[in-house]
Amino acid sequence: MISFEPSDDQKLMVESVAQFARTVLRPRLRETERQRALPEDVRRTAHDLGLALVALPERVGGAGLGLVSAVLLEEEIAWGDPAAPFALGGPGAFGIAVTELATPEQATALLAPFTGEGGHDRFAAVAWGETKAAERAGFSTTARRDDDGNFRIDGKKAYVVNAERAETFLVFAQVEAEKGFRGLGAFVVPRTAKGLTVSPRVATLGLDAASFGAIELDDVVVDASARLGAHLDEDAFAAAVVRFFARHALLVAARAVGLSRAAFDVTREYVESRKAFGKPIGHFQAVAFTVADRAMDVDGSRGIVWRAAAAWDAFDRARWGLPNDDPKAPPPPTEQDCLLFTAQAVATAHEGAMRCGDDGVQLHGGAGFMRDYPVEKLMRDAKQLALCTLTAEHADQLATAVTLGLPLDPALVLPTAESQNAFV
Amino acid sequence: MSLIDISLTKKQLETREMIRAFAKNVIRPQAMTWDREGGIPDDFLRNMAMMATAMGSNAMRSGLGDEAEKPEDGKKKGGGNLFSVLVAEELAWGDGGLLLNLPGPGLGGPPVRASGTPEQKQRFFGIFKDMSSGPLRWGAYGLTEPAAGSDVAGIRTSCRKDGRHWVLNGRKCYITNGAKASWTVIFATIDPALGRAGHRAFVVEKGTPGFSVGRLEDKMGLRASETAELVLEDCRVPEENLLGGDEKYTSKEGFMTAMKTFDNTRPLVGAMALGIGKAAYDYACDFVKDHYVLTRPVPRYAALAERLARVGRALESARVLTWRAAWMADAGVPNAKEASMSKAAAGQAAIRACIEAIEICGAEGSIATEHQLLEKWFRDIKVYDIFEGTGQIQRIVISKRLIEGLKSF
Repeated sequence: MISFEPSDDQKLMVESVAQFARTVLRPRLRETERQRALPEDVRRTAHDLGLALVALPERVGGAGLGLVSAVLLEEEIAWGDPAAPFALGGPGAFGIAVTELATPEQATALLAPFTGEGGHDRFAAVAWGETKAAERAGFSTTARRDDDGNFRIDGKKAYVVNAERAETFLVFAQVEAEKGFRGLGAFVVPRTAKGLTVSPRVATLGLDAASFGAIELDDVVVDASARLGAHLDEDAFAAAVVRFFARHALLVAARAVGLSRAAFDVTREYVESRKAFGKPIGHFQAVAFTVADRAMDVDGSRGIVWRAAAAWDAFDRARWGLPNDDPKAPPPPTEQDCLLFTAQAVATAHEGAMRCGDDGVQLHGGAGFMRDYPVEKLMRDAKQLALCTLTAEHADQLATAVTLGLPLDPALVLPTAESQNAFV
Repeated sequence: MSLIDISLTKKQLETREMIRAFAKNVIRPQAMTWDREGGIPDDFLRNMAMMATAMGSNAMRSGLGDEAEKPEDGKKKGGGNLFSVLVAEELAWGDGGLLLNLPGPGLGGPPVRASGTPEQKQRFFGIFKDMSSGPLRWGAYGLTEPAAGSDVAGIRTSCRKDGRHWVLNGRKCYITNGAKASWTVIFATIDPALGRAGHRAFVVEKGTPGFSVGRLEDKMGLRASETAELVLEDCRVPEENLLGGDEKYTSKEGFMTAMKTFDNTRPLVGAMALGIGKAAYDYACDFVKDHYVLTRPVPRYAALAERLARVGRALESARVLTWRAAWMADAGVPNAKEASMSKAAAGQAAIRACIEAIEICGAEGSIATEHQLLEKWFRDIKVYDIFEGTGQIQRIVISKRLIEGLKSF
């Protein structure tokens, strides 16, 4: 049943998070950028609002609100500060990954530390990327099983979001070399593991309050239970990895919508107040049409993000046997439908955000280039955000592969050194 | 219903499947013939009309003359506009010209419904009642003139009261179904200096002395749809044909009548554009699957894949905007901005789809046969970013509703 009206519960949540964004995040935008982190009191407030596990289902200890609610809240937070969703405490991408790859029991245990007291200070990370393509298909980082049945992991992982902050990593490594990206395993590695080194975070174009880094693993030993997805066969594991990327990318796309709206809002205010040739510049057609086009980007991106989120929610209700109170509900969408809508949403939202940031600075003129105004930060953040999880390029490859019924080649549809890397 | 959900109900999905099958098996095979012959045979249109009545589809039925039976405020039907855009997309996927050909009041319907007196509604909608057995009839909408299209306030067709008649003089152009229409809503002005306040709308009936058909246009595309010039030379229109009666025109009402038409129809036109765009997109997807090597990496694959995906997502994003505008109309919420957004986005996305699809298919894409309609869609689609408000006009509508104090440029 098509409806663009949030439920009363959703409205309440959105309003309280919007207020947090408006009164806490936005006023400190530049401060958090300089500090390259969100201060503890801000993280604590967000944690008290229950934001960390919003996107996760109840079966793993999450809030169970569904992805529609999650994208609504992600949009609001990112409107306040696009870096904030990365910098608030919580499991982040790790949470989505373990939901898809682990058994519910494993996932619940891994996510428990993020729910209670002190959760605002806890981070986790996914170590996926590598800087150089391996000689053969797949990753250079390897996980070998030793005589004791443990795994020994060696290699360097790059483009890791919150590497410097994480207390737990999910490391993707090559288990069966000859199988390429079909031969991967996922391993939970604590930061304290012997042989694990976290590199200092890198400086980036934007999203300064987030943190981007890398880790090195030198004969890190984990026992067999650290491997997630051992209960899945090769196909199911590969599909779960794609779902992880898609679902997390959809949340990032919702952040791009929030960023678009933020850039749009400050730009609209500016063109209404800035006068030239005797009237507000927004009253000139060249400016007004640009504003109209960017409004279409904001609304178009939001709509397609909602569409994908609603599809996942229906898909989740069916696969996890959750109750559905809509008697007119159609048959649930397939996983392929969900992936297609998500891919379309991700590419649309990132390109829209980049245009909103770019035109935002443009319509501010020289002022837009100055750090007195937030819009230059939003433009930098838009590009940085577009390089997180799935880029528009990956999303487009994914959409077409799904549409044409082709196998989903990780080298093409996921960020790897063989196509284009992204921060995960 | 309040809970964000962007998915179709079981019934909507079933209806869509049914119309899609009909479009594929019945409409498509005849589309090129209609295009070449410049029209659609009456017996086919009559069947369509009967089918629409049976299905209760507004998109088709808005053609069918039961406008007078709709509730005044248009709010109570719940889902009517949304259902219409779903149906319109599928029918246009079959053939863009078909919807414009469906008998009934067409674009003339909304202004009569919005502004007509009860007697006028009875009279002008009444003639569409017995089309299942009697002759097919159409209504039309005459606003555009040779010297004023988007600039509605600038129309020059004049009207002056003479006894119990109004005398109209001027020319109207690009009028869909203008030659075959039983009546046309004609906009004229008592004095161009008065701007919008001087506008009057009339229902001018075929056969009225001084009312004639000028040239029939020869178009790039949508050739199955008739586009006519209408000439008014000392045309004497009875005073009871002044839409809404004298009291309607104490303010800007005349102009508002013209605009009311568009808030309802723009999402519908957007949906039709999406139908054509999707036709081209589907064609390109099938073509790539059938003709190109995808099982081993070819250098062109990634570029092709990206092009296809761009087309697909632009259509999908515009589709959601179209659904939103229709959903708002159903909820009785003002939607002028959203209606314009949907049409602007859909028109652009669909044009892009047709251009890209031809390029993706290469030489084969430009070849016209009864089973290869891609070049036809390319010709048909362009006008969707032009009629019922060009893309630029949509941006004027949108920006005026976004930027404080912006009244005109």
